[in-house]
Amino acid sequence: MSRFRYSNLTVNLRLLLLPGAVFLYACQNMPAPYAPPEQRQPFETFAPYRINRIIDMADGDADNYIVHDILRTGGTWRWTGKHPEARVFMRANDGLHYIVDLTIAGATFKDTGPVTLTFYVNGHLLDKATYSASGPEHFDEPVPADWVQVGKDAIVGAEIDKPWISPADGVALGFILNRIGLRQE
Amino acid sequence: MILALAALLGAALTAAACYAAGAMLIDKLGLTLRRFERAPLAFTLGAACLHLAVFAILTVHLAYWPVLTALLLGAIGGALAKGSWKLRGEQGEPLSVNLKRICIPSFGIFILLYFFHAWAPEMSPDGSGYHLGNVVRELRAHGFERITTDMYATLSAGIEMLFVPAFAIGRHSAAALVHLAFLVALALAMFAYGRRLGMPWVGAAGAFLTFASPVVGIDGSSAYNDVGVAAVVFSAFYWLEIWDETRDSRALVPVGLMAGYAYATKYTAFVMVLFALGFVAWRARKVRPLITVALFSSAMIVPWMLKDWIVVQNPIAPFGNAIFRNPYFHPMFEKNYAEDLRSYGVTDKRTLPLEVTIRGEKTQGILGLTFLAAPLALLALRYRHGRRLLAAGLVLGITYFANIGTRFLIPPLPFLSLAMAMGIGGGFGIGPPILGALMVFHAVSSWPPEMRHYADHFVWGLNHILFEQALRIVPQDQYLRTERDYSAARLVEATVPAGERILGLRGVPYAYCNREILSTYQSALSQTLIDFINASIIEDYQPTVVESFKFQERSGSRFRVLQTATVHDANAQWSVHELRFFHNGIEIPRRPEWRIQAWTNPWEVQLAFDNSLATRWRTWETVKPGDFLDVDFGRDEVVDEARLDTSPDYYEIRIQVEAMDSNGKWVELARDPKAVLADHSKYSLRRAAIYEINARGIHYLLAGEDDFRADDIRDDPEAWGMTQVASGYGIKIYKLNGATK
Repeated sequence: MSRFRYSNLTVNLRLLLLPGAVFLYACQNMPAPYAPPEQRQPFETFAPYRINRIIDMADGDADNYIVHDILRTGGTWRWTGKHPEARVFMRANDGLHYIVDLTIAGATFKDTGPVTLTFYVNGHLLDKATYSASGPEHFDEPVPADWVQVGKDAIVGAEIDKPWISPADGVALGFILNRIGLRQE
Repeated sequence: MILALAALLGAALTAAACYAAGAMLIDKLGLTLRRFERAPLAFTLGAACLHLAVFAILTVHLAYWPVLTALLLGAIGGALAKGSWKLRGEQGEPLSVNLKRICIPSFGIFILLYFFHAWAPEMSPDGSGYHLGNVVRELRAHGFERITTDMYATLSAGIEMLFVPAFAIGRHSAAALVHLAFLVALALAMFAYGRRLGMPWVGAAGAFLTFASPVVGIDGSSAYNDVGVAAVVFSAFYWLEIWDETRDSRALVPVGLMAGYAYATKYTAFVMVLFALGFVAWRARKVRPLITVALFSSAMIVPWMLKDWIVVQNPIAPFGNAIFRNPYFHPMFEKNYAEDLRSYGVTDKRTLPLEVTIRGEKTQGILGLTFLAAPLALLALRYRHGRRLLAAGLVLGITYFANIGTRFLIPPLPFLSLAMAMGIGGGFGIGPPILGALMVFHAVSSWPPEMRHYADHFVWGLNHILFEQALRIVPQDQYLRTERDYSAARLVEATVPAGERILGLRGVPYAYCNREILSTYQSALSQTLIDFINASIIEDYQPTVVESFKFQERSGSRFRVLQTATVHDANAQWSVHELRFFHNGIEIPRRPEWRIQAWTNPWEVQLAFDNSLATRWRTWETVKPGDFLDVDFGRDEVVDEARLDTSPDYYEIRIQVEAMDSNGKWVELARDPKAVLADHSKYSLRRAAIYEINARGIHYLLAGEDDFRADDIRDDPEAWGMTQVASGYGIKIYKLNGATK
């Protein structure tokens, strides 16, 4: 019985069939045609898009936006000093309002009595407010567009006229800050 | 402390099992090795075998820790029972006292640094990202899952297969310690190679140049795989040298296994297969040895190709998507990804030698100051073995320019290091003093505080010995919390309910987060969903153009729009938000009987027929003549106009409308459309985009900082139809509000 032997060339040519088959398979990967999907209904704009750059002290990244005089204590609120400031990055400057949610603490109010807060945006005095009782307060005032530059940080701040001074260590405490920033209306 | 001991145990058992499996195979083949080379070569050979065993266990979904532990103990027990465990073989020439005086402190101080870093809680970027992220997923599912939404899950993972049993016993640090075992094996193999050549100083110096290189140190003591790849390719080279010296055909078995394992550890190391085949062909000039190498290489390569072919229809995924077309990865992703890897922000490639040796911030790591003298390796050309080392290094370096990260120089580094040592110190009587001085210089200049004097400030590298962290004197969670990304991962897990998928505009360390995050570019699905978000914000992506093709009334059942232009911009894509057909100005309603198809990207054709302006079909590869959208109405319809809602992001596109005639040939009906601007200002693309994402079963979105999309969402999440549910550590998590339409 004769013994058939493959030449190297024969073996090599047969080996070439395998990648050839792989290549042909690759070219054929076209799915069957699809039916049209469920038809969507357009979403009408229910409210205009508005920029909201309010720093909530409960936000885990709130510390990143503190400029000064806001204690980095964590939690959902922070003590301020006499002149707290924070920075907010603004992509627009029209229709902006300065928003602050704060609390005049009973513990300091009993020593200081009524306090007046002055609110600033980029160093411009926006308004003053006098608080003659302790408790939560909300401040909301429109900001002139030319006080804020688009694409840059704006500094929002406040200054309390009568901070409470700790008799133990001399630390000045202003008020309790919950939220501060600019919002487009 | 239990965590620390478990990590040691997991790593020790895995490393021992690798050695045991390799030693048994060496003995089974009847191969004779010298005593000093048996341990490293057995370790890497056993790693190759063990990786296949773990692959098989994952395939049959039996990856429970008792099974994996039994595998390790079985290998160790088998070697002990068969007597293979014992180091045996011819002792080499005794080492000189001077060599020991240099080597013991040099290697000793660095191994201390590396060991404690590897033993400490693992927090390397890619290690705690995909290298261990995939291991965690596999162990959670007790086997391979059908993952089509993560390109990293398709890469070959030959080293990570060994992380699986180590992790099952000792968690994250055990995996990093296994990788460190590869570094030790590599150094021992390089040293052994020098001894085999009768050049122990060359072996020691070459090994130390690689071992103490800063990028090798941080990589090799993290749960990465580059140092493992280097150990594998060097072992393949070593076995080739053994075969060439002995011409024992049995040595071709480990040659084939190790060359194939190189592919299994990292795609870019596939060149080792070519080197091995080329070397054997050159030296043997026979086919049979080649077939042996090819067959045993295939045993390592084919399982990975088959896995990808079955799961994502592409055996070399996530690459080659224009050849092996599939719905899971876009060719455009591949192109952009490859461009990123070729760039790393290094605009002037002439600065690369400095970047990878002494700067390192852009390419993420440095080889060390000593490697500025790398051209001295050319002096090794005067030796036969030097030429071989340089040839192997060159072949392995070929793929470097596909990814210019410094750590992608690690696989050719052992060859370069040995060639440098050979070139500088081989053959001269003064070789040992020069090489000793070189080792001292390299040790000093690579020691972290010294290295940081000349390297870029943010270079990826080790800092100091993490003694307290490794022993968990500093609690693991406390140490990991110093990394913001770890805390972000924990925040995701605490906020998002189990089983929910998250669309990520950025990622977190997946190895510490038991939630699936569809992240940025990692799959066609995530790219398409993020394109919905991008198109809501970027005006050029929005459907602001309506192209109207009017033609003489035509009755037919099949119509198509065909792209005919050859574009010059390789990034140019054709995108269609909606394709509609009209008769007398009245749209022909879409019916379920219609059949629609597209080329290219046929899988996403429905996005052009869903009546949503937030979604769009895109070619997702460079547009070319012949791309089309095709509609079969299922019956004859009278049509006199086709309209495309499209975006103005690319201008070179040229479209014509065609109908199929009764002979099955396409007949042109119209070109040169009338384009008008569309006013969609009263529609909310943002809400529509989120609706589409929600409709695909994804209810959470993860955003980072310093990203235009994250900014836009943060400023008015309500306008997007989302509610912020968590914030901190550089991320914000939003819940997509319930679908209302």
